[in-house]
Amino acid sequence: MAETKHSSVTTYLIVAIILGVITYIEFALVEYPQAWLGPSWTLVWLITLSVVKFVMVVMFFMHLKADDRTYTGFFSSGMFIAMATFVGLTAMFVLPRAVSATRPQNVVAGKAAHNEIPEAMLENVRTGGASRGPAQIADNPRVKDRTVPIAAPLASNDASTYTVNVATPPAAEEAGATPSAAEAPSGAGEAASATTPTTEAPSGEAPSGEAASGAPAGAAPAATTVSWDQEHGKAVFNANCMACHQASGEGIPGAFPPLAGHSDDIYALDGGRQYLLDTVLFGLQGPITVNGAPYNGVMPAWGHLADGDIADALNHALTAWSDPPADFQPYVAADVEARRPDNRTPDENHAAREALGLD
Amino acid sequence: MSADASHASPAPAHVAPYRSSKLPDVKLLMWVFLASDTMFFGSLIGTYLAYHNRSLVGPLPRDVFDIPLTTISTFVLLMSSLLMVLSLHALRQNDISRFRLWTAGVAIFGSIFLGFQVFEFTHFVNAGLTVHQNLFGTTFFILTGTHGIHVTVGVIWLVSALITSYLRPTTAKDAVYLEIAGLYWHFVDIVWIVIFTVVYLVEFV
Repeated sequence: MAETKHSSVTTYLIVAIILGVITYIEFALVEYPQAWLGPSWTLVWLITLSVVKFVMVVMFFMHLKADDRTYTGFFSSGMFIAMATFVGLTAMFVLPRAVSATRPQNVVAGKAAHNEIPEAMLENVRTGGASRGPAQIADNPRVKDRTVPIAAPLASNDASTYTVNVATPPAAEEAGATPSAAEAPSGAGEAASATTPTTEAPSGEAPSGEAASGAPAGAAPAATTVSWDQEHGKAVFNANCMACHQASGEGIPGAFPPLAGHSDDIYALDGGRQYLLDTVLFGLQGPITVNGAPYNGVMPAWGHLADGDIADALNHALTAWSDPPADFQPYVAADVEARRPDNRTPDENHAAREALGLD
Repeated sequence: MSADASHASPAPAHVAPYRSSKLPDVKLLMWVFLASDTMFFGSLIGTYLAYHNRSLVGPLPRDVFDIPLTTISTFVLLMSSLLMVLSLHALRQNDISRFRLWTAGVAIFGSIFLGFQVFEFTHFVNAGLTVHQNLFGTTFFILTGTHGIHVTVGVIWLVSALITSYLRPTTAKDAVYLEIAGLYWHFVDIVWIVIFTVVYLVEFV
């Protein structure tokens, strides 16, 4: 029973003192920055000191120095795989951005600093409230049944329904826009429609006589109301979009673009309303730039979802993290139905994006 | 020999069970576990760094980190490792009263570290940093929370060893069981050495 040559108590104490001193030096390097050392060398020293601590604990406290080499082999293998994972993970996130930054279309003034969060993005978030801290939420609780008056105030509202008054019906679609025109006259029965999902609204409550007389009224600037089920929109978004774009709409930097503070801007563009719908319906593929940051991925087409689902998810994305865009006309199922025959590919939709003047 | 083989008799009693190594199984097992845990923490730290500086909203690390406080808790954890080796040394010497004293010390120091962490987490949440506030919050709480769970398991383990020493005789022959608990404890310590530098200190360089 050979007693292994474990370190004596004296050694333990010396090691502990050294560990304590190193920890204090690390603290001092950060708390009292040394001008003569500079940030780079400070970083080198911090990493070196922590490696020294790491190795000392492993060698003397965990006795690897004196113990069987088998243990060292197992632990080193684990360390090696961990380091490889670490390097791989870093490469996955850092390299695509570095490569993207060297692409000709991205090497232009103002696009060099990809690692910096663009001020515009921060400003969008600050003003738009894409993600809010507890204090802001306390100041301005996001109630579900708020009303956004654009033309005329509403008489009543329902807690589960997000209602927006619109001055005109959704922009005149191409030939065969009757579905959205039929939607318009339902404004007369807005109070009753509150709990009814949008997709059922036209057939559910608009009397046929009114619908017939409503067709010409679609051209008139009469105030109308379109409602959608806000909870339903959130549910569809969370089930289909959240994995990439996140519940907060922030996306994942470097991988998936943010919607918060971005989709509102697109909506405001001429043709932006249709482009947003097309992107969900037909997908998008190719390099894009969002708030100064490059992305090059694939947005799958979501045409397999029901018309009402797509419309409500879009409405959610445009209203959940900020106030609705000016002149916001909520999407309705008929909008989606009207776009389906176009049947674009994600590449064609990318061309449409460029046609809007977006990178 | 061929006759013996044809009898197909059961294995004689004196044949020792197959062992792949002369090393204690539990200790080898612990080292293998620590190797796997290294990969686990390596991934979590890598994830933290991959998302570093990519939060769109605050609070950001510089808004909430308190280096003097974290230095103290780091120091406490380092000193608990010293008590751990002293405890193992005492048990090897069959010095049971010292073994109990140092083991209790490790558990107390570990609890102090956890207390610092609870204080820190509470402070962060009050400052608006929750696990779903931003990417920093998500990766930070997952990383340091996983480490905190490891410390908690270590404290429970050492307290169990302490209680066991009162329930049945504990001698130097049991040292290998305390040794693997110690290996686990030191491992938790070295993970914190890395986290302290990579997550906390480098932030302010």
